[in-house]
Amino acid sequence: MLFGLAAGLLLLLVAQPLMPAYRSSRDVLTAPGREHLLGTNDIGQDVLTGLLYATPNTVLMALAAATVATATALIVAGAAAAAGATTRNMILRLVDALQVMPSILVLLFIGTLMQPGLAGLALLLGLTSWHEDVRVALAMLRRELQRENVRFARHMGASRTYCLRRHVLPAIRPALAALYLQNIRQVTLRAAGLAFLGLTDPRLLTWGGMMQDAMEHLYTPAWLWLLLPPALALTAFLLIILLLIENDPAGARA
Amino acid sequence: MQILRTVLLVLATVLASPALPQGDKPLVITDTRGDRGMLAPYVHARNGIAYLYTSYVFDSLIAQDAKGELVPGLAESWTLSEDGLTADLGLNPKARWHDGQPVTAQDAAFTFSYMAQNPYPFASLGNIGQAEAISDRHLRLTLKKRDAGLFSGLLLALPILPRHIYSSQTDPGHFASPAAATGSGPYRLVEYDKAHGRYTLEANPDYYRGQPLFDTLMIVTMSTDAALQALNNGEVDVISYLPPERAGDAEAAGWQVVAARSGHIVKIGFNHEGLFGDAEMRRALAYALDRQAILDITSTGGEAALADTGYFQSGSPWRGNVADPAYTHDPGHATDLLEKQGLTRGASEKWQRDGVPVTLRLLADGAQARIAQVVTDQLEAFGFTVDLRLMEQAALQAVPAGGDYDLLISSTSTTGDPSDIASRVKGQSWNADRYHGDGRLDTILQEAGQSATPDERLTHLHEFQRLYAKELPSLMLLDPVMATAHNDRVELSFMPDGALIGIPTAIDKSAFVTE
Repeated sequence: MLFGLAAGLLLLLVAQPLMPAYRSSRDVLTAPGREHLLGTNDIGQDVLTGLLYATPNTVLMALAAATVATATALIVAGAAAAAGATTRNMILRLVDALQVMPSILVLLFIGTLMQPGLAGLALLLGLTSWHEDVRVALAMLRRELQRENVRFARHMGASRTYCLRRHVLPAIRPALAALYLQNIRQVTLRAAGLAFLGLTDPRLLTWGGMMQDAMEHLYTPAWLWLLLPPALALTAFLLIILLLIENDPAGARA
Repeated sequence: MQILRTVLLVLATVLASPALPQGDKPLVITDTRGDRGMLAPYVHARNGIAYLYTSYVFDSLIAQDAKGELVPGLAESWTLSEDGLTADLGLNPKARWHDGQPVTAQDAAFTFSYMAQNPYPFASLGNIGQAEAISDRHLRLTLKKRDAGLFSGLLLALPILPRHIYSSQTDPGHFASPAAATGSGPYRLVEYDKAHGRYTLEANPDYYRGQPLFDTLMIVTMSTDAALQALNNGEVDVISYLPPERAGDAEAAGWQVVAARSGHIVKIGFNHEGLFGDAEMRRALAYALDRQAILDITSTGGEAALADTGYFQSGSPWRGNVADPAYTHDPGHATDLLEKQGLTRGASEKWQRDGVPVTLRLLADGAQARIAQVVTDQLEAFGFTVDLRLMEQAALQAVPAGGDYDLLISSTSTTGDPSDIASRVKGQSWNADRYHGDGRLDTILQEAGQSATPDERLTHLHEFQRLYAKELPSLMLLDPVMATAHNDRVELSFMPDGALIGIPTAIDKSAFVTE
């Protein structure tokens, strides 16, 4: 399945120059039909074309940003768990400070300095959302570190790395996966809002952006073909990721 | 017992009496946006609608009738000296402040000196040399130079303040007690609910210019859907701004809808210190764009009309009756013009300058997102690479003239007395044209301002219109339509050039007073 997903994405990326341009036209808000399989939006852009352009953008950005966020959170939580009380408190206060400060401020500030592309955006989104996971990850780590199996292994002379790899990480894996999924969902929706802050080119197509544009048409029949396709795509994507994580042989062994 | 019976009888008679007379039921007007601030000159919100509501409470020296023609306000007569530098106004002796005190020439003279010290954003007093009260009824204004827009501009816009209340106020921006709203207009403010954005105004029974039509006016905040529902239920009488694409809904329900082009156009502004410093470049861009297609795509429900390119929009009394250059979509001609400017088509038909691909940086007000996307599509199809940014108005205001942009899509007013045009063309505001060019447009505007007769002024303004369409300080794209729905309790219409300072509205105070 992983290979299928990767191959599909690669195909979409490679085929992009061959796909029809995502251009506005006079066919505004036409319902799905022969000419436009998924209808058109409020400036006459073909929804199916948009969805095809948006898919690699969204998936790659969400995966990358969620990986950055979850990994950073895990590393910081690990450092806090390993460190003494003073350092741990300092790290936690820092996390508190980040949580109090709206990340939108940081993003706006960066937006005035530079205009990030897709990769920059993923990094930015990852680096402004990791702090929300630190406390959860820290609680999990500390609980696992105090378990008998870890303490016994340490007593028997096992190294910290061995304990981490063999005992701690497998145990917190399902919870981490849940955090990861949550990050993917959040990042997708937050990326949609950034175009409206002038941070990115509003033509950088993502599912979240398409959903946000569709919200204006909630009270007209157009929501059917404007909101449902990107929403279903996002749901399907999250499901696939969930299945991948659950069926992962490494995860099954733990 | 006898007394109680009498009381009950009277009460029953009152309750059983047939429908209340017209004036007794409040006229309820809906506004889609919330709080507009307290209805007094220095504390209302800084937008046209807040100014409009404040004009219900505060009269000016000169007023407008329902067609927009100038009629006596607090001044019942006015004359201008031969040299155009002295204006004599005779005040209406019947005019009273809402607290019963007479309105005098001293109040008017005080307003001019007070507003010179405490500037009021909707009236510019730079050209007033002196304002003196010759007697209680006689105000004399001395101008520094001729001003053809004195009566239709400044004196129509300037709300007269009560001297006995404002003379003790040193900081009017923080004077928001009920006394601050003591005006001389047809309605007085009795209740202002900031949290709900709700206003209750009562008729001024001693109004000097006729009888207010309704005993009570109420302004309430409501979304369009709620307002349509409430209109059907008889809870509201006027939906002040109905999205034009919803006009059909209101008409189907049997309500009257009046609509008109607003003159608050959407335009493409240029960075005149960059690539578009030359008029030929601006014309090339105009031909490269398909304005008709922009209209067709973004206005499927009749939300806008194609704008006229010569600044004044159809219906404006200042507009010369000639068709402006339409810049009909002509990519071939646009290509010729660009090539004359030294641009060349490079690989994959992309425009280049000195071998470097041209990237146009297009900024747009977030409210114009759809138009901006269509414009971007058209420019890309024509071979420009476009870097599109949607921004908040505050962020756009921070982008200086000559800053990091090539094109800027914004919305701006073209209505009201032409004495404001110079600031909208030369001004530094983000939605001004920020244009100086060779100074010809400015000269024409100055000549128009110095005109001795209205006809002479019009001649200059028509010349301005012609030159504007040729020089394109900005390219006007669309003229949004505004609509108002109402029931048969009122008779509403849009003034051709907007009300007072050019506000596109059908609820000017002239609609709520019998002359």
